[in-house]
Amino acid sequence: MTARPQRRRTAPGSPGFLRRSQSRWSERAVRVLLVAAALVSVLTTIGIVVALIPPAVEFFGKVDFGAFITGTDWSPLFEPPRFGVLPLVTATLVITVIALLVAVPLGLGAAVYLSEYAGHRVRGVFKPVLEVLAGIPTVVYGFFALRAITPFLQRSWPGGDPPEVFNALSAGFVMGIMIIPTIASLAEDSMAAVPRPLRDGAYALGSSRMQVSTRVVFPAALSGIVAAVVLGISRAIGETMIVAIAAGGRPNLTLNPLEGMQTMTAFIAAAGIGDLPTGSTGYQTIFAVGLLLFALTLVMNLISIRLVRRYREVYE
Amino acid sequence: MNPPSRHGPGGTPPPLPAHLAAPPPSETVFEVGGLSVFYGGHEAVRDVNMNIGARQITAMIGPSGCGKSTVLRCFNRMNDLLPDARVVGKVRYHNEDLYSREVDPIEVRRRIGMVFQKPNPFPKSVYDNIAYGPRVGGFRGNLDDLVEETLTHAALWDEVKDKLRTSALALSGGQQQRLCIARTIAVEPEVILMDEPCSSLDPIATAKIEDLMERLAQQFTIVVVTHNMQQAARVSERTAFFGSEIDRDGVRHGRLIELDETGTLFSNPSDHRTEDYISGRFG
Repeated sequence: MTARPQRRRTAPGSPGFLRRSQSRWSERAVRVLLVAAALVSVLTTIGIVVALIPPAVEFFGKVDFGAFITGTDWSPLFEPPRFGVLPLVTATLVITVIALLVAVPLGLGAAVYLSEYAGHRVRGVFKPVLEVLAGIPTVVYGFFALRAITPFLQRSWPGGDPPEVFNALSAGFVMGIMIIPTIASLAEDSMAAVPRPLRDGAYALGSSRMQVSTRVVFPAALSGIVAAVVLGISRAIGETMIVAIAAGGRPNLTLNPLEGMQTMTAFIAAAGIGDLPTGSTGYQTIFAVGLLLFALTLVMNLISIRLVRRYREVYE
Repeated sequence: MNPPSRHGPGGTPPPLPAHLAAPPPSETVFEVGGLSVFYGGHEAVRDVNMNIGARQITAMIGPSGCGKSTVLRCFNRMNDLLPDARVVGKVRYHNEDLYSREVDPIEVRRRIGMVFQKPNPFPKSVYDNIAYGPRVGGFRGNLDDLVEETLTHAALWDEVKDKLRTSALALSGGQQQRLCIARTIAVEPEVILMDEPCSSLDPIATAKIEDLMERLAQQFTIVVVTHNMQQAARVSERTAFFGSEIDRDGVRHGRLIELDETGTLFSNPSDHRTEDYISGRFG
């Protein structure tokens, strides 16, 4: 046996023998780097909110907040300007609801299938494919809605007035397709994390696979599932390209999904690429709408946290 | 009594230890013939032949990895849930082949319940844990009565009657395991399989479970896998000793070495390997 090279060490009992004998600057450097990495996203979020506030405050110095939030006429860049944001808000909500009607059932269905029914070989193929769907640029989805879904709907419309060229239905539908992988993948992760013994216990009581999925796995995974849906909703509310392309740019206060409408995001995009002079009321409008968008998402997140606290089943 | 029930209205049956009563005329519940189980390519247990009698406790003992739990999981087709498990041979339950095509594993598990090594109550209330099985089985009676009756039967009612709406996970480990046993008897099975039900419990909680097992054995057939030889000696009427063998190809697999009346197996085993194991000389 060869003698192992040993670190020089002071004899036990000699003064300070337990003190650090090597400097560990690299440990400290790594720590600083990691903290910095974590801080970037937090600081960015704070930065965005802070940047939104001053122009928005200036805007509300000129436009009454009540008139803004309840007004039904949105034409901020024309003369005389009107600042009723309701058409944008309803457009965002209509399209988001359509997207969720598509994405929640299909996404959760896919998640239950992958987690509880599929063998691991099927899952090994399905999950990566699903995640590729999440990687398609939204501009592609937008054109898919405008050039494939809308013409298809117009051709095969069963009766009554067919959808307009720009309409909320195609935009919402395609947006739903876009969100499916987000919801399916996250919900599947959280269902797959439910401990196996819980399933065994349910099967041993004579449950069918469906009963195990809906009565044991689903409630135990609820917080992750709600998080998945919330992320889906956030993506829907924030999605810009699809609605800008397929739902059109006309502010339109309606709940009819066959008509074109402009969402909050589509307005921000359209106004943002125009040449509005910095400091003008039109320019500040962008920030006011942005702040509203942010508040909407925040409120929804808070509501969902409440819901989860109330209904989830904590398994550990 | 509103719900159809085999047990009395909330009353505890007289706590006569089953092994002190005269063994009932032995009616065979399970007949196992030439049973081998494979996980992937590996044969976990080979050529098991055994009978299990009604309304008594059969213990399965032996070192780890000799296939006791594997055999137990064949009795209610839990091995079906493992994608690469394969069962060869016959398991007959009241003369019906458990692995025949027409047999519905869900129906099997409603009749043959199982309690697991670690208490695994659902993250639901105590009440909902008991009510789960009856609900999925389409129970149409008064659930409140059934829950009270079941918990009383499992000698748990007094401890949890004020906690029916709190999470089962707030109970102690021993209570959780008794809740799992109660949950199993709530669907009125014919057989209860127990896979090392006390291995995560302290001696006091273990004693309570053993009491419960002895009382339940008056009504149910119980098969229990245990690492605790004293437990087997205390509660069971018959004991099966499993060991592992290495065949000529050098493949290690589990075998049933010996099955006998518990008293005989512990005092006068017929195989020297059983004797070595129970006297502490392993191998």
